[in-house]
Amino acid sequence: MRLDNLRVIAAREYLARIRTKGFWIATVGLPLFMGAVLVLPALLLTRTTSAHRMVIVDTTGQIGERLAAELTESARLERLTEQIEEALPGAEAAALEEKLQGFVPILEAPAADLAEQRAGLDRRVLAGDIDAWLWISEDGLAEDRVEYHAESVSNFVTQERLTRAASRIIRAFRLAEAGLDPDEIERLGRSVDLATLRVTEAGSREEQAATGVVLAYLLFFLLYIAILVYGQQVMLGVLEEKSSRIVEVIVATTRPVELMAGKLAGICCVALTQLVIWLGTVALLTLPQVVARMSWLAGRFEVPTLAPSLVVHFFAFFVLGFLLFSSFYGSVGAAFSNVQEAQQFASIGAVFVVAPMLLFWMVLNDPDSTLSVVSSLIPVFTPLLMLLRLAVKAPPWWQVALGYLLTIGVTWGMIWISARVYRVGILMYGKKPSLPEIWRWIRYA
Amino acid sequence: MPPPSVELRGVSKSYGRFRAVDDLSLRMPGGTIFGLLGPNGAGKTTSIRMIMNIIAPDSGEILFFDRARTDVDLARVGYLPEERGLYPKMSVHEHLIFLGRLHGMSRPDAAAATGRWLERVDLASWALKKVEELSKGMQQKVQLVGTVLHEPQILILDEPFSGLDPINQGLFKELLADYRDGGRTVIFSTHIMEQAEKLCDEICLISGGRAILSGPLDEIKRRHGSNAYRLVATGEVERAADVAGVESAVRHDDAIKLMLTPGVEGADVLRELVGFLAVREFRSEEPSLEEIFIGSVRDAT
Repeated sequence: MRLDNLRVIAAREYLARIRTKGFWIATVGLPLFMGAVLVLPALLLTRTTSAHRMVIVDTTGQIGERLAAELTESARLERLTEQIEEALPGAEAAALEEKLQGFVPILEAPAADLAEQRAGLDRRVLAGDIDAWLWISEDGLAEDRVEYHAESVSNFVTQERLTRAASRIIRAFRLAEAGLDPDEIERLGRSVDLATLRVTEAGSREEQAATGVVLAYLLFFLLYIAILVYGQQVMLGVLEEKSSRIVEVIVATTRPVELMAGKLAGICCVALTQLVIWLGTVALLTLPQVVARMSWLAGRFEVPTLAPSLVVHFFAFFVLGFLLFSSFYGSVGAAFSNVQEAQQFASIGAVFVVAPMLLFWMVLNDPDSTLSVVSSLIPVFTPLLMLLRLAVKAPPWWQVALGYLLTIGVTWGMIWISARVYRVGILMYGKKPSLPEIWRWIRYA
Repeated sequence: MPPPSVELRGVSKSYGRFRAVDDLSLRMPGGTIFGLLGPNGAGKTTSIRMIMNIIAPDSGEILFFDRARTDVDLARVGYLPEERGLYPKMSVHEHLIFLGRLHGMSRPDAAAATGRWLERVDLASWALKKVEELSKGMQQKVQLVGTVLHEPQILILDEPFSGLDPINQGLFKELLADYRDGGRTVIFSTHIMEQAEKLCDEICLISGGRAILSGPLDEIKRRHGSNAYRLVATGEVERAADVAGVESAVRHDDAIKLMLTPGVEGADVLRELVGFLAVREFRSEEPSLEEIFIGSVRDAT
């Protein structure tokens, strides 16, 4: 193996891929897309929801007023309004606040002719003067019902809020009627939160369960996608070299093994570049200094922190997993002459990449179960599953070490086999080789 | 420096039960254009791939520069395979530098040589274009430049003329002559005999993986010359058959084909002929390489 050739080939591979528009679209596009998926719905909701103008008619005279107050004031809204007032000039803040409240309740007294009043309200809804009207009556309350009339009744977010507010007020009203103190009842009836604390070598740290899952999920999927996508790229690259007939020009001065190693090294560096950019973005966005500036995030969502050791494991497992699967994909690309035939065979490899997906929730929920431990030590699963275990709960060191050792061994074996298939296959054109034929290449190459 | 020779000694290669090359020995000396000739499937490409160390022989030795071949030797060879191509998405300039570097050139050297060669083949203005934007003929030129960029001592071309347009054929021939005149070696394979006949100094005819005829071209022709002459004359041409040393005289259109007894000199016969004929033309008829080849294959089997 001559390193000079390997370097020249790896450099060509790297530059050829880094220079494509596709690479940068994927590199910049994926974080943007993920960010958009997280932020856009919330943003759209606050931008487009208009305040809901709703007439409240309360024939009991006991509930309407308090419900109107409840709808415009809530602890959460107050906190938000404070932040908005800090951030925006007065007029804009007022408009946004109205939107956020979501309701402009208009209290109207019951008229003498109730039927006529109801018909009038319907006309106003249809004319667009108001968006909806709410009818609270003795009869309704007896059946635990409050009527909501609107042109569209699919606005479930609004209805959900309305239901909760109305229930709270009516419950309080009924409690008071029964001679009980609603505040006292409220205090006694409160449910508890589960405060989750993660125990690590460095000491306990409060962490929301969801945060740990988000991080594990993120790393697991990043690794999964990178191994699958770049493995395919290796295969397609080899096929391209074969079909463009460049390969024999190159193997005249280069051993096929050097060509394959150079290709793997080059594409591995492309993948690492992309992963460093992605994880770097995540690390940058989760810096305490940055988080502090994004006040709208504060309190709503706990920002996960990337432990440096986890990042090291992530990259180590990527390189191993990449070499394991890509050397396989490379030899498949060499053995066949067209994409369709190669894809068929490559799906055997894909099964082993996808299988850990099925075990994801099992391992996440109980990372120390026998099944989790055993499956994370099966070399083809180790990169993904051991990383997941590391992200969720530090496994015993010997399991991690064993996982690495086994994977390195199997990866080495896979590279050895692939190099032999590659060496023969790369110069074979035409007929699709049979499995016994490929077996002969491995034995006699 | 030793002459840029290539030698095969008792080289054999089988694919399963099929014997592609069978105990082939031949020496390609420096400073010549050497043609490896034979029909399709004769074992030419397999032989060349073994010379290039792309496949290993089952038995036998391959020598470069009169000694065992090393990896460094291969970087001093320019090889144009039969199955050839380029990366379609790379620029011409980058691609040639890449090929140069694979042959051990430094980046600046490769860049300088690329510039010079593109100038020589009139592709300088295409240097920054992608390979896929070039016409097929231009791609062939780029391919050729990639083969000679590193100034190899030995040029090995497998079926170089297949699919070439006439302009590039001229370019290739010019280059081959340059190489020979510079004391370097050109080895090329072809199944088209007329081409070999025009270009080669030495040849080796192979069939069924065996060498059936090899040596300098003119010597081979002399050896296989049947002592035939072509006579164009007026007078009593029928009497030519009676001249001493003439075995037969057969009329072909306006000429007569004379077959002389082996060992008889054409000049002696001519002296007799001018005595009674007005001779306009009298010349030795060499057999074409094709005729020699067909005859040899027939004899061998």
